[in-house]
Amino acid sequence: MNCDCHARLLRIYSRRLRKQASIGKVKTSRPINLNLFSIKWPVTALVSIAHRVSGILLFLATALLLYLLDLSLQSEAGFRQAADLLASPAASFLIWLVVVALLYHLIAGSRHLLMDIGIGESWRAGKFAATAVIVFSLIGAILAGFWLW
Amino acid sequence: MLVSIYRYNPEQDEKPVMQNIDVDVPADRDLMVLDVLELAKARDPSIAYRRSCREGVCGSDGMNINGVNGLACITPISKAAGPGRKLVLRPLPGLPVIRDLVVDLSGFYRQFEKVKPYLINDAPPPAIERLQSPEDREKLDGLYECILCACCSTACPSFWWNPDKFIGPAGLLQAYRFLADSRDTASAARLAALDDPFSVFRCRGIMNCVAVCPKGLNPTRAIGHIRSMLLQQGT
Repeated sequence: MNCDCHARLLRIYSRRLRKQASIGKVKTSRPINLNLFSIKWPVTALVSIAHRVSGILLFLATALLLYLLDLSLQSEAGFRQAADLLASPAASFLIWLVVVALLYHLIAGSRHLLMDIGIGESWRAGKFAATAVIVFSLIGAILAGFWLW
Repeated sequence: MLVSIYRYNPEQDEKPVMQNIDVDVPADRDLMVLDVLELAKARDPSIAYRRSCREGVCGSDGMNINGVNGLACITPISKAAGPGRKLVLRPLPGLPVIRDLVVDLSGFYRQFEKVKPYLINDAPPPAIERLQSPEDREKLDGLYECILCACCSTACPSFWWNPDKFIGPAGLLQAYRFLADSRDTASAARLAALDDPFSVFRCRGIMNCVAVCPKGLNPTRAIGHIRSMLLQQGT
């Protein structure tokens, strides 16, 4: 084999090696299509995600409510202070939000419990139950509004 | 018809882009999304996607069509986009994109493999087939028909966030297919392998999987059955 041939082989191999290296580099950085806004969510998913959101809201609200309870139990003056705090329209709105979150969490949670014992697991029943959760919660929200104002 | 397609070529592109292609579709009949994709490919031959049987049997052309996972070959454009609307085609969500609409399914298959999707029977093989009563056979309906198109698992947020630990709806449907089989003798071992906080219990029952399954199967119900079996077994 002459020198010229060796050089050519070397060139071919080095080109191949470089190509492999570049392929390897590309593979490590593959994109993932996960734009949550490009995905259409079925009603069952929305109801379930809102169940979680309402749970987080209730968890945060518990701190506020416990503070108010503590304040009202401290003394007569403390009770009046708590009552004054709750009298403002903004506070009523907040309380309404907490009541709605509680109602929603209760209703949507009951649906999940029913599903756990095997009720409403078909697609039609699941969709129907999820829609029912929204309807009952809306009625509950309106009734809570009447009760508060 | 305007078709918007997710384009990514690893050798040229830094980031994926959406490419708009105007495709002439006949007005007198309804086409399938795959037909429109073929027309788009005639315009731009560099578009990459998987397809084979073109009749919803092979499960190759699973993709995200206007926000909903489905098989392009059996999804009519009238249902996917509606009249005068744009058709938006993206790869299955949550999996690494190899190119355009082609995703790397190896993570999905790894979860499938974990559930040992084959019959296990300790008894010595009989001279004839292992027999099963029609009632026992009926228990496999709605489980065995899965074509592994990955539409369900890639529609599942629990699978997006924990693709290595949560088996996912497709794998769990198969897990229950063998748990429910009267000829399988490995139920206890199968359940023990699933008994951890992630494999089954990451399912939150949001039913995205049921909503998208092109074969009309119900992984949510199968997962519910597995949960009950785990509870009864108390492994």
